[in-house]
Amino acid sequence: MQVTHAAEVRPAPEADERVAKTSRVRRLLVRPEVGAMAGAVAVWIFFAIAAGDRGFLSLRGTANYLEVAAQLGILAVAVALLMIGGEFDLSIGSAIGACGIIFALLSAELGWNVWLAMLASLGFALLLGVFNGYLVLRTELPSFIITLGTLLMVRGVTIGITRQLTGRTVVSGLDDVPGYDAIRTIFASDVRIGGAEFSIAIVWWLGVAALATWVLLRTSFGNWIFGVGGNQQAARNVGVPISLVKIVLFMGTAVAAWLVAMIQVLGARSADVVRGTGSEFTAIIAAVIGGVLLTGGYGSAIGPVFGALIFGMVRQGIVFMGVDPGWENAVLGAMLVIAVLVNRYIRTLAMGAR
Amino acid sequence: MRHRSSRLIALFVAVMLATVGFASQTLGQGGGDRSDLRFVVVTHGQASDPYWSVVQNGVNQAAKDMGVEVEYQAPDTFDMVAMSQLIDAAVASQPDGIALSIPDADALGDSIKAGVDAGIPMISLDSGSDVAADLGMLTHVGQTEYEAGVGAGKRMGEAGVTTALCVNQEVGNVALDDRCRGFTDGLAESGGTVELVEVKLNNPTEAQARIEAALSTNPDVNGILALGPTGAAPALEALRGTGQLGAIQLATFDLSPDVLDAIESGDILFAIDSQQYMQGYLPIVLLTLYATNLNTIANPVLMTGPGFVTKENAAQVIELAAAGTR
Amino acid sequence: MSQTATTNGTPLLEVENVSRYFGSVIALKDISMSVHAGEVMCLLGDNGAGKSTLIKIFSGVYPPSEGRYLVEGDEVHFRSPREALAAGIATVYQDLAMIPLMSISRNFFLGSEPTTGWGPFRRFDVEAADRISRDELHKMGIHVRDTGQAVGTLSGGERQSVAIARAVYFGAKVLILDEPTAALGVKEAGVVLRYIAQARARGLGVIFISHNVHHAYPVGDRFTLLNRGRSYGTFAKSEISREEVVRMMAGGEELEELGHELEEFARLDAKATATPVAADAEAKLLEMGREFEAEGREVIG
Repeated sequence: MQVTHAAEVRPAPEADERVAKTSRVRRLLVRPEVGAMAGAVAVWIFFAIAAGDRGFLSLRGTANYLEVAAQLGILAVAVALLMIGGEFDLSIGSAIGACGIIFALLSAELGWNVWLAMLASLGFALLLGVFNGYLVLRTELPSFIITLGTLLMVRGVTIGITRQLTGRTVVSGLDDVPGYDAIRTIFASDVRIGGAEFSIAIVWWLGVAALATWVLLRTSFGNWIFGVGGNQQAARNVGVPISLVKIVLFMGTAVAAWLVAMIQVLGARSADVVRGTGSEFTAIIAAVIGGVLLTGGYGSAIGPVFGALIFGMVRQGIVFMGVDPGWENAVLGAMLVIAVLVNRYIRTLAMGAR
Repeated sequence: MRHRSSRLIALFVAVMLATVGFASQTLGQGGGDRSDLRFVVVTHGQASDPYWSVVQNGVNQAAKDMGVEVEYQAPDTFDMVAMSQLIDAAVASQPDGIALSIPDADALGDSIKAGVDAGIPMISLDSGSDVAADLGMLTHVGQTEYEAGVGAGKRMGEAGVTTALCVNQEVGNVALDDRCRGFTDGLAESGGTVELVEVKLNNPTEAQARIEAALSTNPDVNGILALGPTGAAPALEALRGTGQLGAIQLATFDLSPDVLDAIESGDILFAIDSQQYMQGYLPIVLLTLYATNLNTIANPVLMTGPGFVTKENAAQVIELAAAGTR
Repeated sequence: MSQTATTNGTPLLEVENVSRYFGSVIALKDISMSVHAGEVMCLLGDNGAGKSTLIKIFSGVYPPSEGRYLVEGDEVHFRSPREALAAGIATVYQDLAMIPLMSISRNFFLGSEPTTGWGPFRRFDVEAADRISRDELHKMGIHVRDTGQAVGTLSGGERQSVAIARAVYFGAKVLILDEPTAALGVKEAGVVLRYIAQARARGLGVIFISHNVHHAYPVGDRFTLLNRGRSYGTFAKSEISREEVVRMMAGGEELEELGHELEEFARLDAKATATPVAADAEAKLLEMGREFEAEGREVIG
């Protein structure tokens, strides 16, 4: 980049010798999603070789890991937006359990109309998001701590109320509820392609990612997200409504949890109080693999799509390889570290060792 | 920085490849014309659970004896969504047969049907005895939980128990819930009542505290039934702690070294053995025979339990348990 | 460069006898100053003089405890920085102006993004943002080929300049710059000073806060000096020299006195021990004394 000063007299604008030319390719590589995409390709090749004949390359196998990726991916995209805005939400795992239980209790146990039950669980999610956002803004404590608190509270209340009402921790019998088939089509149906069933969650996942990308890159709100995460005080000084941005972002993660809850509950025909446990961390990991900075202010919504894809391929890929499940976490952890290193390496390369 | 980055990456890739290569040693060895047979076992039992490790031993031994290749898969936690995805993966890998547990037929039904429709022979084990036939299983190998619970209730009643606790370490698992239900009905035949105590599967300290609390709230309790070693161990500790060992009759489902010792010394009245080693062993044998000879079993359920382990036969069972087969 | 000591017309911004207390601490006492259009007012004072308190009053962070704050002749009571901004008072803080990870054009339009389309499809007009920011920077004399690049790739001085260009574009009437040159090298500081002159040329009023007289004196029209919460007064450039400004800022007077004392000691010692060594020491002390004296007149830091 050249910066010349009008008042100075120079024969011709010289390039600053400290600033190297940036080629188009280099500029492309700097984009956060490219590293994650490269990682996804590398992982796919690995499993294609190691487990290609064991089903990884088959249509069924592809549908299998895509289903896993989709459920995680919906969360990862919402979490990525929140992280770009400088905050964390650890309560989404509990929110998944809670939304599912609310829907099941209302429709299967209390006989509500399925659509009303769905709206009620969505309403809960929105309230939870507002609650999280409000607490974070008011107390000015790290969102990590606040949402850790809501994680425990929501999980505890979910288990307590369910036990109180049903004496069990699983609420089933959803397929007997009138209207079940219709609502299941929206959230948990499958599309048959070439003999394999592809979950409709994949469509939801890609839709959420497209919406998030558009918001992030093509709306004022998206600009505000970057601003708030990059330097909150500076953003406040120019009039960006910090409170609104953060509360909406927390509502976003809660709604993502609601969506995953609906997909799981309608697919499994039952709600379980422990659903979603641990997913808050895998979502953050997928976002980080996707190039989102932990410190905020930088990232994209497409990167986490590849991050979730990598996760899904690894999780199911090692099953296809026949690896004993005890090793799964070790492999997953190693792959995560590799993916992040590769991501950082590409960015360092592209930015010329800043 | 660049060089350090790329060296770090290379190191991690190498470590990971070694890990995966080592870890993908499949269970069982090949040999004979059955060596190209491959089966997948999917259960909801984690490797860390002592009950399920005996099942896995049974699977291993059967694989060796039959000369076939077997993979064992289970989700990290009791998560039906994850388990259905494991079953999908197993079906996608097109094995010669699948053995699986069915703790929740509603959640797993679709994945199981997909496997049956794909023409893969399937046998269920441990849980799901009531739905196995409808789902298209060749047979079910296990014990029917409700009946086993009733048996426990009857025995407890004969021993003089009037008020009992039923300690459930995995509420939501239909099989365990059935055990408590059966126990309640069985004890009711002699006029006794049962109260449910829920504990967490992997937190023994907390479990012990819960049981102690339940005992102090109900001073009339003179019997405790645990549904597995993860409930029996804390129950034993709770009784020791409150000095009520012997005064309160303790019985449990399933075996573990501690449980067997306690039976021998009289602290535990009896243990119901569902003989899970057989539940791991038999499906592999049956699947192999089906694959090679199209043999089928006429019974919808092959009952491996309840088998009662009491003071009389405890000593011998202890030896077998040490070998990991009971 | 404007030379007028007094400018006619209503001041863009004025404070009359403003004080600010924090509990029992008197941060500011009886401060009066004003800024007119097309004028650079330098607010000088050493650390702890009360400059940042005064800026915060100007930019609406908190109100004065006593006194009046007027914008274009009308008394105002800002409840937030956003209200001050809306009234045309733009404050550029040293380290809080730009967000390094965002592009220049996104930074430029943060909070006031240009949009096209309507309803739910209203979108951030990236092309317009890139174009306008490039043009505005150009008008300020900054030539950037690609405003889509991150602000982090700019130097400190360039970032300050972008912040100034942004304030000018969004219709600031008064530009308050909080120590803009404090963390910059000599050449960079010169660049920023040039842009301040540009802003003045475009008719803004500029309040330039600094503790560095070398930077402030060349570009300022009038100077207000603060010392420990009180004002020494406001002086036009024609009324006061650079050295006098330095002297009045804290430290100048004390150091000069110290210099006198050291010279006295040297003379007394020389009388007591008239040896060559002593004479040597005397000479050295005398030299040191003169240096202190001179430093007292120079800028500190």
